Amino acid sequence: MIRWTGRVKFLFLLPAVLWVLSFTVFPLGYSLYLSLHEVERKVVITGREKVPVLKADGTPVLKADGTPRTRTKVIRELQTTFTWNSFANYLRAFRDEEVKEAVRVTVIFTVVAVGTEILLGLGLAWLFNRRLYARGFLRSVMILPIFATPVAVGYLFFTIFYELGGPLSWTGIPWLSDPDWALVSIIIVDLWQWTPFCFLVFLAALQGIPEEMIETAMLDTNSQWEIWRYVILPILRPVIVIVLLLRFAEAVKLFDIIATLTKGGPGIATQSYSYLAFNRGFKMNDFGYASALAFLLLIAVMIIVTLFFRRLRTSYE
Amino acid sequence: MIRRSRLSDAFWSLVALLVAMLFFFPLYWAISNSLRRPVETFTVTGLGMPFVDFTPTLDNWRLQLGTPEAYNALANSSIISVSAVAIALLLGVPAAYALARFRFFTVPNRDLTIWFLSQRVLPPVATAVPFFILFSSFDMLDTRLALTLVSATFVLPFVVVICRQTFYDLPVELEEAALVDGAGHVKAFFWVALPLAAPAIAAAALIMFAFAWNEYLFAVILTIKSAATLPVHIAGGVDTRGVQFWFVAVRSLIAMVPPVLLALVAQRYIVHGLTLGAVKG
Repeated sequence: MIRWTGRVKFLFLLPAVLWVLSFTVFPLGYSLYLSLHEVERKVVITGREKVPVLKADGTPVLKADGTPRTRTKVIRELQTTFTWNSFANYLRAFRDEEVKEAVRVTVIFTVVAVGTEILLGLGLAWLFNRRLYARGFLRSVMILPIFATPVAVGYLFFTIFYELGGPLSWTGIPWLSDPDWALVSIIIVDLWQWTPFCFLVFLAALQGIPEEMIETAMLDTNSQWEIWRYVILPILRPVIVIVLLLRFAEAVKLFDIIATLTKGGPGIATQSYSYLAFNRGFKMNDFGYASALAFLLLIAVMIIVTLFFRRLRTSYE
Repeated sequence: MIRRSRLSDAFWSLVALLVAMLFFFPLYWAISNSLRRPVETFTVTGLGMPFVDFTPTLDNWRLQLGTPEAYNALANSSIISVSAVAIALLLGVPAAYALARFRFFTVPNRDLTIWFLSQRVLPPVATAVPFFILFSSFDMLDTRLALTLVSATFVLPFVVVICRQTFYDLPVELEEAALVDGAGHVKAFFWVALPLAAPAIAAAALIMFAFAWNEYLFAVILTIKSAATLPVHIAGGVDTRGVQFWFVAVRSLIAMVPPVLLALVAQRYIVHGLTLGAVKG
C-alpha cells in the first residue's frame, strides 16, 4: 500500500522527528545523566556588595554629609551541582522499603483496575449492544467520565468518600482512612473514569461484527454463552489486546488521582510508583534519585510492553 | 437482529439506565454540592437533591468566578492547550501523512510509527525532572511557553499515530490523480488529502485539547502562579485551606465542563482517537 519514495517525504517527517528528538529523547538522555549523579540544588551566597538605598521615586537617600546612604546587598545564586556517583541511586532504589511498597501498590492497582475495567467493559458492551430504549442518550452519559479532569475527579471523590456524612457513609466503610480500603477507593475512581472507555471501544468493535456471522452461529447453537465464547470473543481478541495495552500504559503512570485523593496516604499505603518518584524529586529535591526511579519504571514498562505486546507491531504496518 | 420480547427490552433498558445513573452520580454530586451553602455540604444527607433537600444558591459560583486567579487559570489553560494542539498538528499531521503514504528505507515505516507510539508508554516522571532543571536554568519556570512546549510534546505522538491511520484509510487514487495532473506531493497533501482528512483531524484535535487541558503532572512542576492551569489552580486552593467541598465542586465543574463537552461533540470519533486509530468508531 505504501508506495511513494520521493525525497519530499523527509520534508513531511523530519520536523516532527526533530521535535521528538529535542523534547523527548534529549531530556531522557539528560535524565539518564542525572540518574548517575548526586544532584544538589541549593541557594548559595556568592558575594556581597554595597548598594545605595533608593527612595520610592528612584533617587538615592542621602546621609547628613551628602554621601548616599548604602546598604549591603547579599548576592544569592541557585546552584545545581552534579557529583558522579555511578549506580548508587539505582542500588539505593533496590534497598528502599518505600520503593517496594510503591511497586506493590502500583502492581495491585494496575492488575485489579485494568482487569476489572475490561471485564466490566465487556459486560456493558454486551448490555448496550441489545435493543434498548434511549440507547444513544445513555451511551452519551457513559462517555462523560472519560474526559473529566483527573485532578478534579480526585477532589470530587474526596467529597463522595467523605466518611462523616458523605453519600457513601451509610456503608460504614473507612473509605480513605484505612490503608486497604484507600487503595480500593483509588481503584473505584479509576473504574469510574476508565470502564466507560473500555465499554465504548468494545461496543464499537461489537457493532462492527457483521450480523450474518452471528446469525450463522445461531443455527448451530441457542446458547448466548457459546456464541460469545466461540464467535464473539475470538473476534474481539485483538481489540481487547489494544485496550489492555493502552490501559496498562496509563495505569502504571497513576499519579493525578493519588495526588488529589489520598496524597499517598494513609501513611504510604496508596503511594504509587510515579507519585513516589515525583515526591523524591520535587518535594525532597533529590533529583538524581528521582531520575533513577523514573528510569527503572521506564525499563520495566518497556520490558513488559515488548514481551506481551510484540504482536501489536503488525497492526501498524 | 434477534427477536426479543418488549418486556425483556424494558428490563434491560432499566438496567442500562441504572448503570448510566451510577456513572453520572459523581457529576451530579458535584453539581449538588456546588449549589449548597457551605455548611449544607456537610449537613444535607441522602441524595442531596436541590429544592427538595436544600434551597440551591449560586453564591459559590459567584465567589469562585469572581476571583482573578480563576480567570487567570482559565485563560492559561485555554491558551496553553490551544497552542500545544496547534504545534502538535503543525508538526504531526505532515509526519502522519509521510508515514501513511511514503516508504522509508533506513528505518521501516512500522518502526517509525511504533517509535512515535512508544512515547505514550513513556512515564512522564522520566522527563519531568530534566524539564524542570532545564527550564529553571533558562529561567522559564512558570511561563506559558514552557508548559506549551511540553504539552505539545505530550500530544504530538497521539496526533501522528491517529492521523497516520486517517490518511491510510483515505483512497490514494485521488492524490495520484492530482500528481498525474502535475501537482507536487506538497500540493497533493494540502489540496487533496488534507481537506478529505479534515473532519477526522478536527475530532482528533478536540480530543488532544482535552488531554492537554487535563494534564497535571507537568503543569504542577512547571507552573506556580502566573502560568498555573486549572488543574493546578484546583489543587492549590485545596492545599492552603483544606478541602472546601462547596468551592471544590465549583472548580471541578469549571475544569471538567470544557473537555467533557468537547468529547460529546467529537463522540463519533472518540473510539478511533482513544485507541490511536486501531479501532474504528
